Order: sequence, then C-alpha cells, then structure tokens
Amino acid sequence: MPDSLLLQARAGDAQAFAELVKAHQGSVFSIGLRMLNRRDAAEDLAQDVFLQLYRKLDSIESLQHLGFWLRRVAANLAIDWLRRVPYSATQPLDENIDAIAPETDSDPLMSRELTRLLGELAPHPRAVMLLRYQEDRDVAEIAAMLDMPVNTVKSHIKRSLTALRGRMIGARLIDCEELP
Amino acid sequence: MNDNFEDELRRRLRPVNAPEGFAERVMRALPERALPATVTVLPAPRRSWMRQFGMPASLAASLLAAVFLGQHSAQQRELRAQHEGLEASRELMQALRLTSQKLDIAYQAVQKPPPAGAEENRT
Repeated sequence: MPDSLLLQARAGDAQAFAELVKAHQGSVFSIGLRMLNRRDAAEDLAQDVFLQLYRKLDSIESLQHLGFWLRRVAANLAIDWLRRVPYSATQPLDENIDAIAPETDSDPLMSRELTRLLGELAPHPRAVMLLRYQEDRDVAEIAAMLDMPVNTVKSHIKRSLTALRGRMIGARLIDCEELP
Repeated sequence: MNDNFEDELRRRLRPVNAPEGFAERVMRALPERALPATVTVLPAPRRSWMRQFGMPASLAASLLAAVFLGQHSAQQRELRAQHEGLEASRELMQALRLTSQKLDIAYQAVQKPPPAGAEENRT
C-alpha cells in the first residue's frame, strides 16, 4: 500500500480513507471480537477506532505508524470496555463462532475452544496474546502499544501460554505427545 | 517447548474478516471533517512607485543636485577669479603703459638741448 494513499486521505480524499479502512478493518475488528467476545460490541469498537483515526489523521506519519496506531487504540479501547462492562454481560461465545474462526479453519471446534480459553484471561494478558499471535507483533511493539514494560509483556506471554496449553491438554484438545 | 503451540495459536488466531459493508458504514458515520486549515498567502499590496522608491529617489536627487550646485558654484568662483585676474592684469598693463609714457615725456624733456637765450642769461 503506497504512502500516497495516506497523504490523499489526509488531504480529505474520502476514497483513500475508505481504502485505509478496508486494509485494516480485519485486524481491528478481530482484536475487538476476540477481546470482547461480542460481534456487535466488536463492530462498535472498530467503528470507534476508525472514527478516531479520521480525527487524528494529521498525526499519522506513515503506513507503518498507522498500523501501530490502529492496533494500539483498538487494544486499549477493548481493555477500557472490559473494565466498564462486567464480563457476564458478554454474549455466550457460541453465537459468535462463525465470526471468530478463520475462514480456512479445518477445526472450528478447536478454534472456538481456544477463543473461549483466551477469553478467560484477564484483559491485559488477553490483549498481549492477541497482539503477539493474531497480529504477529514483537514484544517491544506490544509493550509500546499497551504502555507496559517489555518484561511484563514477556511475563504475560509466558504465563498465558502455560495456562492455555494446560487447559487445552486438560480439555483433551491437544495431547502431551503432540506438543512436546 | 512452546514452539508448536505458538504456531498453533498463530494459525488459529488469524484475523477474521470484518462484517459485510463495515467500511461503508464507517464512511457514512464520518463527521464532516474540517478541511485542513489552509494559509492563503495574499500578495503584498502593491506599493506605488512613489511610495516604494520616493524616499531613496529624493535623497539621490538631492545628493546629485548638491553635487551639481557645488560644482557649478566652484566653476563660477573659478571663472570669477580668472576674470578678476585678467582685469587686474589689464589694469596693471594700462598703469605700466601710462607710466612708460610719462617717463618718455620726461626723458625727452631732459634730452632736449636748452634754448640759446637761456645760456646767455646764466652767464
């Protein structure tokens, strides 16, 4: 995606801004969906992120900065949303399974269970895990996005991996031999 | 130890597609964005030739006039001095001429032989 698209959007070109939305909507929506486990809330959150982007376009320096900024805002908005709304208010996960499993998923049951287990993590470790494994961001970037020390990010990842793995083995979704 | 599990997580947690028509809904929800403030640089008001160059021009003209007047008065003074010099020279020549004439008359009078009767009377 050329940087000129960002420049055009900043100059007020609505079509260019729409292209930016389309390029990043999947990531932003997925962060909302897997953080909140609610499709409607995830869509509201994603829309809010892009409206904020529209207002802050002038401060975005490059497409790389845009990607960083969108993920940072999406993760932090989701954490704030989880602080305000009790977890019990979220809909059961089953209603969102079609939206949460990747389209090419060969084992939707496994993905659903993984998402459910991910949803049991506290908001900050959940955001760390999503930024690490959904968005494939490195620890330093995640630390900057969530305003936390790098060591805290590493610690969240290590503990979350252990917890998720243990629960998946407990639920017989994976074997000990399968994952040495 | 966790490498396989991490790969599995990456595979399972790939981003999903946003709902159909999401981008269009975002675009419809956009507020009227204030156009970026543009600074229009208006051309500086044209100053009239007189206003722009009047002061330096008048200073230059005054300077030139002063120079010319100075030169002119110096020339005049020189001419006057020359004229006065010539006049003085002419007057001197006239005076010399008159003096010379007087001396000629006196000389002729001295050189002229005395009349005969005058000699006899003396003795």
